[in-house]
Order: sequence, then C-alpha cells, then structure tokens
Amino acid sequence: MTDNQWDNLIKIVNGTRLDPLPAGFIIDCPWLPNWFGINILDYFTNDDLWFSANLKATEIFPGVMFFPGFWSEYGMCSEPSAFGAKCSFPENQFPHADKCIHSLKDIDRIRKPKAGVDGLSPFLLNRLKLNRKRMEESGHKIRFSVSRGHLNVASYLMGTTELMTGLLTDHGQIHKLLRIITDYLIEWHDVQQKTFPSIDGILILDDLVGFIGEEEFKQFGLPYLKELYDRDVSIKLFHNDADCRSSVKYLPEIGINIFNMAFNTSLNELKELTGNKVTMLGNIPPRDVLARGTPADITKAVRDMIAALEDPSRIIVSCGGGMSPGVTTENINAFIQGIT
Amino acid sequence: MTELLERLALCVEMGKIDKATPYPPELAGQDGADELTKQALDKGISPDDILHKACVIGMHSIGEKFQRNEVFVPQLLIAAKAMTCVMYHLKPFFVSGQIKTKGTFVIGTVSGDLHDIGKNIVCMVVEGAGFKVIDLGIDVPESAFLDAIHGNEGCIVGLSALLTTTMVNMEQTVNAIKKQYPQTKVIIGGAPVTGDFAQQIGADGYSHGPQGAVEFLNKAVV
Repeated sequence: MTDNQWDNLIKIVNGTRLDPLPAGFIIDCPWLPNWFGINILDYFTNDDLWFSANLKATEIFPGVMFFPGFWSEYGMCSEPSAFGAKCSFPENQFPHADKCIHSLKDIDRIRKPKAGVDGLSPFLLNRLKLNRKRMEESGHKIRFSVSRGHLNVASYLMGTTELMTGLLTDHGQIHKLLRIITDYLIEWHDVQQKTFPSIDGILILDDLVGFIGEEEFKQFGLPYLKELYDRDVSIKLFHNDADCRSSVKYLPEIGINIFNMAFNTSLNELKELTGNKVTMLGNIPPRDVLARGTPADITKAVRDMIAALEDPSRIIVSCGGGMSPGVTTENINAFIQGIT
Repeated sequence: MTELLERLALCVEMGKIDKATPYPPELAGQDGADELTKQALDKGISPDDILHKACVIGMHSIGEKFQRNEVFVPQLLIAAKAMTCVMYHLKPFFVSGQIKTKGTFVIGTVSGDLHDIGKNIVCMVVEGAGFKVIDLGIDVPESAFLDAIHGNEGCIVGLSALLTTTMVNMEQTVNAIKKQYPQTKVIIGGAPVTGDFAQQIGADGYSHGPQGAVEFLNKAVV
C-alpha cells in the first residue's frame, strides 16, 4: 500500500467520506497466483514470482487498496507449522496442515513456539526482508502484521469438530490451548512489527468465530481477540466471512476498526450493529457475482450496493470475503466502474 | 416406557452423552444417551422405537433450532455425539435387519477439498434421521463416488465443498455421476454453495444446512 493509500485509509476509518468511495480487496494465494498465470507452489517458493504477482496487481489496479498488500503467506500452514503440524503443498492446490492434537489430553504436550524461528515463520519474515527494498522502490510499504486468529489456528491443530465439542465439554483444556496459541500470536505480531517499523496495522483472519454462538464467543473469542488487538497501531482489520451475528456487536469493544465480512448481511445492518464505529470492507458476493457474473452484472451489483447505503462513511467497497479464485481483470475493472 | 424415550430424546437434543460427561451442566450427574439406551433395550423397548421415537426426534429438534440460529455448530455436534452413542447400541439391530433404515446416503467432500466440518454435521444429522450413511471422507475422487453408487443401489449422494476453488470439482463429480447413473439423486452443500449453483451444475438439490438435507432425503425416498 502506498503512503497516499495509507493516509486515505486512516481518514476513512476516522469517518472522512471519500468521493468516489474507495475500493479494496483482501488478496492472497486463492486468487493471486492463478490470476498472474503461475501455479500456487511457484508462488510460494519463488520470491521473484511472488513479488511480480503482487506488484502487477498494484500496477493494473493502482486505485485499489490491497490488504494486507504483498502478503507473505503459506495459506493455512503459516501458523500451524510453528506448532509442529504436518504441512502438505500439492502443486496447484491450497496447502493444508494436518492436525497434531488427537485428544484433549494432547494439549498438555503443546508448548508455545518461538515466533520468527519455528515452523514457516522465519520464511514468512525473510521473504518480506528480501523484497522490502524493491517493494519500497515501487512505492509500497509493509503496513500490516498478519496472522490467523486463535480459534482458526486451534481448529487446524486439533480439528474443527473436536474444537467445537471441546468448547462445551472441556473448558479447561480448550482455554489452555487458546492461551498458548494467543501468546504465540502476540509474540508473532511483535516480531513482525519489530522487524518492519513501517507496520502500522494488524490483520487477523478467523472464520471459526462464525461457527459459535454469543455465549461461546464471549468466553472463547472475545477475551483473546481483545489481547490480540491490543496493539499501538492505526488500523485493526478483522476478516470473518462466516456468520457474524454472534460477534459483530463486540467489534468496537475489541478495538477492530475495519471488518471484512460475509456477503449475506447488509452493510446498513452491520453499521447499525457496530454503532458506525467500524469501517466495513464489503460486501459484493465474491463468487456468484465477482467471479462468475458478467461485467454488467458486477457494475450493477456495486451501484445497487452503494445506492442502498444509508450512510456512505466508513465504507470500502469490496467483496464479502477475500478475492475468489478466477476473478478476472475485466471483472475487477467492472467492479471499479460501478464505484466511479 | 414413553418417559424413558422422552428422556433419551432430550439427551440426544441436549448432547448428554453419558453420565460421566459434565455437559450440559443442567443434566450433570444424570444418566445420558449411553445409559438410557441400554435401559431402554433392557426393558424391551424395540430398537426401532428407540431410533424413531427418541433419536430421530432429538436430532430433528436440535436441527430445527440450528436452522433458526438458536443453537450453533458446537451444540449440533455434541448432540450428534450423543446420537452416535445411541447408534452404537443399535448397530447390531441394523445388521440383523430388525431396524429398517429409510435409505442409503453416500456423502463426501469433493476432490481437492480437505474440510470435513460441514460434511460431518450432515452425516450425523442424516444418520440421526434414520438413514444409513456411507461417509467417503474428504478429498474424494469421482471414481470413489461412482464405486459407492455401484455398491449401494438406489443410494442418494451428497457432495460437500468449503472452498470456491473446489466447487469446480463438485460440478465435475455431478457430471460424472449423472453420466453413469442418471437416476441417482445428488444433493450439494457447503459454505460457498448456493441453490443457483446447484441448478447450474445439474444437482437435484441444495441445502444450506443439515436439516434441509434431511428434508430433501425424506422426500427423495417417498
């Protein structure tokens, strides 16, 4: 993200209305490598290809904010790898981390990994270090520290079914695991921020928050998210494109100031539920409209969405979720046309 | 007898697995699905009644609550665990033919997709509704679905996908099934899936949640 984009982002979060409304997308391996014409494994393993793909997105769409921008990531393996999860990288599929906790008792064996040293974390950091100079020479800076959330990481370590039932049957062991994961994630964000002083934002992605009810969220989501977001940065972005009804009203209390959500709740409703304290990054359907729609469908959907806004402040026009695989340049241009 | 079945249905609905399990707190220390199923069989209650007048009712009730957003994934999964406990005791009666299932449901997460949560929930709720469930697991190739259909004449097939990328494989799998077994009904589901998408790829049904899958299956076997 350029200095100008970052300044605008802070203005938007503070309630300044930009005209036209800004466009922004979360982009990562599900979309970027194939859009750039390379396979996912090449994207993960070749610095030049990774850098060129990210740079090209910023050059083709100079007015679009990309979150987090030049994201160094290995899909869902990024954090679980530090805990010892076996990671698989099929050539042109998303990587996957196998669970390494097979019973609630196994949680007793889990120790906090060393951020920046264990698993893939040094590789994540080093990619950014090696590319920082040319990134800055192209006008961009590393703005965000990034991680999946504590529940999301826990689901990879022990399995979603087991985590979900554990939330009801064994609070002690689940809190023990979430404590270790959260401590690690805090340290991981610290390391990223210390390594790259240009970081002034945090992005956390956790769809598991959308699987649980309000009572479970208050016990297993809210307190840990408050700790994760308790950082001295300007932008606090949260992605959960599963159900958000149990959690959305707590976003201001957590400190989150930008939310990327699923497309099935209207922006007006979300703004009301959050007291218009949170900037909404959304929410055109990413697959049915942005990926599969015609350019005309997309432009219309964006115009309709903007026209329906009761208050256009604190809005970044995006899709509800991250950029879906298969979204073409033509469709993104149609999306931008709907705003202007 | 009725009271015992009602208590068992409640245990399934609330996810009271057995006496030792502390959840739910309001039933702490009381017998759970495990003990009550044993008691019901000992008292001569027919396995069929245990399935249909307790298990199916309990799972139906929690499924409806899930559909109305009154409970969430953890509560549904724990109910399914309690149901699995009942099924463990009823298994010999399924094998002997004393309990008749409504039909056979073959389900799997399509090729390339390693997520199992949605599929597992549907498996459990469908089993609790009285169907025989054959769970092919995750990352299931087309050939495995075709083999399962071949070995289970008249079965209905469920395809799950959590990723927008693997929805493409869902389309290929539906095509392969319809080409070789045009009469086989296919229902699809998963977070990114919609009714429109189901129509586009030629699936017979779509469900947003497990209860919708049960309703589809109940209609399909009539």
